[in-house]
Amino acid sequence: MTVIPVVIDENICVEKCTICDVFCPGDIIYRLEKDKPPVVMYPDECWYCGACALHCPVDAISIIFPPEMLDCQTTVASLLEKPEL
Amino acid sequence: MTETRSRKAAAGSIQVVEADIAIVGGGVAGCLAAVGAAEIGAKVAILEKGGIIERSGSIAAGVDHYIAVLDEGEEWDKPGYLLRHVPVVTQGVTDLPAAARLIYGLPGMVKRLEDMGVDFHDPDKPGIPYYRHRAFGLPGEYYINFDGRHFKHSIGRAARKTGAKVFERVMVSEVLMDNGRPKGVVAFNIRTGAVFFVLAPTVILAAGDANRIGENASGFPFDSWHIPYNTGDGHGMALRVGAQLANMEFTDSTVSPKGYSTQGLNAFVGAGAHFINVNGERFMFKYDPKGERASRAALVNGVVGETLAGRGPIYCDCTHLSEEEAQHLVRTLGVDRPALPDYFAQKKINLSKEPFEVTVGEIATVRAGALFRGSGVHVDADAASSVPGIYAAGDCSSMNAAVAGAAVMGHVAGQSAARFAQNQPRPEALSKDEIERIHEDMVRPLHQEEGITFRQFEDEVRHIVTHYIGYRREEKYLQEGLHRLQLLREREKEMIAENYHGLMRVNEARNIRAVAEALATSAIERKETRASAAHFRVDFPDTDDENGRRIIMVEQGAEGKLRVSSRQTGLQVDVLPEVPPEILAQEEEAV
Repeated sequence: MTVIPVVIDENICVEKCTICDVFCPGDIIYRLEKDKPPVVMYPDECWYCGACALHCPVDAISIIFPPEMLDCQTTVASLLEKPEL
Repeated sequence: MTETRSRKAAAGSIQVVEADIAIVGGGVAGCLAAVGAAEIGAKVAILEKGGIIERSGSIAAGVDHYIAVLDEGEEWDKPGYLLRHVPVVTQGVTDLPAAARLIYGLPGMVKRLEDMGVDFHDPDKPGIPYYRHRAFGLPGEYYINFDGRHFKHSIGRAARKTGAKVFERVMVSEVLMDNGRPKGVVAFNIRTGAVFFVLAPTVILAAGDANRIGENASGFPFDSWHIPYNTGDGHGMALRVGAQLANMEFTDSTVSPKGYSTQGLNAFVGAGAHFINVNGERFMFKYDPKGERASRAALVNGVVGETLAGRGPIYCDCTHLSEEEAQHLVRTLGVDRPALPDYFAQKKINLSKEPFEVTVGEIATVRAGALFRGSGVHVDADAASSVPGIYAAGDCSSMNAAVAGAAVMGHVAGQSAARFAQNQPRPEALSKDEIERIHEDMVRPLHQEEGITFRQFEDEVRHIVTHYIGYRREEKYLQEGLHRLQLLREREKEMIAENYHGLMRVNEARNIRAVAEALATSAIERKETRASAAHFRVDFPDTDDENGRRIIMVEQGAEGKLRVSSRQTGLQVDVLPEVPPEILAQEEEAV
C-alpha cells in the first residue's frame, strides 16, 4: 500500500502558486500544470518535515502520518541485533 | 533483485560555464563561501540540488540557536577561553589550528550575518540584546536563542546578491580533475536533465552531512533525524578525487518517538522529561552523572544499554509536567520540525497523562559526536583539503560547529579558494569527445535496461551499517561489514534510474555506500571506545588516552580500496592548554 504523506486540498489550493513545489527539500512535490493542484510524485521519499504545509499561503496542505509511524510495531531490540557469522 | 523498466532519457542541453570557484552545495557553508569569495573579486558558481538557495539545506525551514563568542565582558566570552576548552570538548581528537580559525571567526560572523539581515534577538525576551544560554557541554553561555525561521532566506539572498551564478535543482555528479588538480565539476538538472560543465581551478565541497545510512524503527529510509537529502555527496566526491576524510568512525544518532525520527530531543530534555525503562526506573544516572541532561551520545548509549539488558521498551515520561507545560512543549517542537506537533496530535497522546515509547534513531554521519570535530573531508585552518585546489566547509568537513561553524568556515573556504584561484592557470577547454564521454558516464543508469534500484542498493548499505557496524562495535562484525561494503561497490554500476530525479538518487546511493565504507574502515582502526555511543567498541570498552588521541584518516587508493592512516594530535585532555603563540598572532591579525 502506498503511503501518501502530503495531502493537498484541491478546493483550497491556489492556481499558479508553486511554493510547495519549490520549498520541498526533496523534490517530492511537482506542480506540473498551473490549473491543476500539485502532485506528490515521490511519496515514499518524503522526510515528513512539514515545510510544504508550513509555507502554503492558504493552508491547503496536511501532513498525514501512516500507521508505521504513529503505531510502530518494530522492537528497538531488533535494530540492535547482530547477524550470525 | 533484477527488474526491467522503461525509461525516458530525453537528451538535455549541454552548457559550459567558466568560473574561478565551483561551490558544491548552497546551504549555509556554500552561501557564505560565495560571499567570502566575492569579497576578493572571484567569479563564483553555486550548484544546489534543492529548489532555491533561499530555502535549501539543513536549516531551510529554520533554526533556533546559534553558537557565538561576542566578547561582551565575561571571561568565558573570549575566543581564547573557548579555544582552550576545545581539547576537552573533543576528547583530544581535533585539529586545534583549524578550531582556532573557526572560533576566532565567531565574533565577526555575528556582525556579518546581522548585516545580511539576520535578527539574533529573542522575540520573547525583548529587554536584552541577545538571549544566551549554556548547552552541549560548552564552558559558557555560547548559545544565542533566536527566531531563525528566515535565517536561510537572509543568507541565501546575500549569496545571490554577490552576483554569483546560481544553479538550482542542479546536482553535481563529479569533480573533474586534471593532473591532480581540479578543473571544475559536471552537473545536471534533476528535472530537465540539462547538463552543466563548470570549468574552474578551485572547487569548494559544501554538501552537508550523510544520512540514510542506517535503519530506523518505521522502516522508511527517508524518515531520518537530519535531512535525508544530505547523503555524503561531498564525502563521496572527495574520496573519488583522492582527498582524505577524517573522523569517519564517529557517528551520531538521537532518541526519538518510536516511528518518527526527528529533532526535538533537546526540547524534551530541556522541559524536564525523564527517560524510564519497562520497570519504570529512571535509568540515565547509571550511565552518566548528568542523567537526562547528559550529551546526546550518552542518551543514545543509555537507551541502547537498557534495551540490550532486556529492560526495554524505553519511554519518555512527561507526566510530572502540568497540562499547560506539556502543551507549551508540543507547540515549541514545531520550531525544530514543523510537522512534529501534527505527529503528536495524530498519535492522540496526552503528554501530561501518559509516557510514550522512544527508540534510538538511525546511525548517521552528522557530526563526530562533538562540536569542533566533523566526520568528513579533512581540512586545515584555511579549509583546504589534502588535494590542492579543493576546499571543504560545513557538515561535510572535519571542522564544524553546527550553523556557526558552517558560516565561519564557509567564509574562510571562499576566501582561501579565491586567493588560490588568482594564481592558477585557467583550466583547458574540454574537447567535444571529453564532454561526450563524461556525459555518457553520468547518464548511464538511465540507459540500462535491467538492474537494481537505488533503494535496493541502499537497503543493503543500511543493513550492513546497522547490524555489522551498529551502536555496539566488534572487530569480527566490522571486518565482515567492511567486506560486504567492498563487494557492494561492484554493484554500483547495476543501478538503474527512470528519470533525472532517479539519477540523483542513484548518485546519492553511491555516496552513501562510500561513506559507510569509510566508516567501517575507520571504526576498525580505532581500537578503543570514545565519545560514548559515537564509537563504542565492546571488544575495547575503555578509552585509551595513551594511543587514542589521534585523528584517523582514510583515502582512496589504487583499485578503489580505502587506505587508512592516523596522526597523534598531542592534545592534553586533563589540563587546559595555553593557546599556542603562533595561533594567537595569526588570529589577532585576522580579527
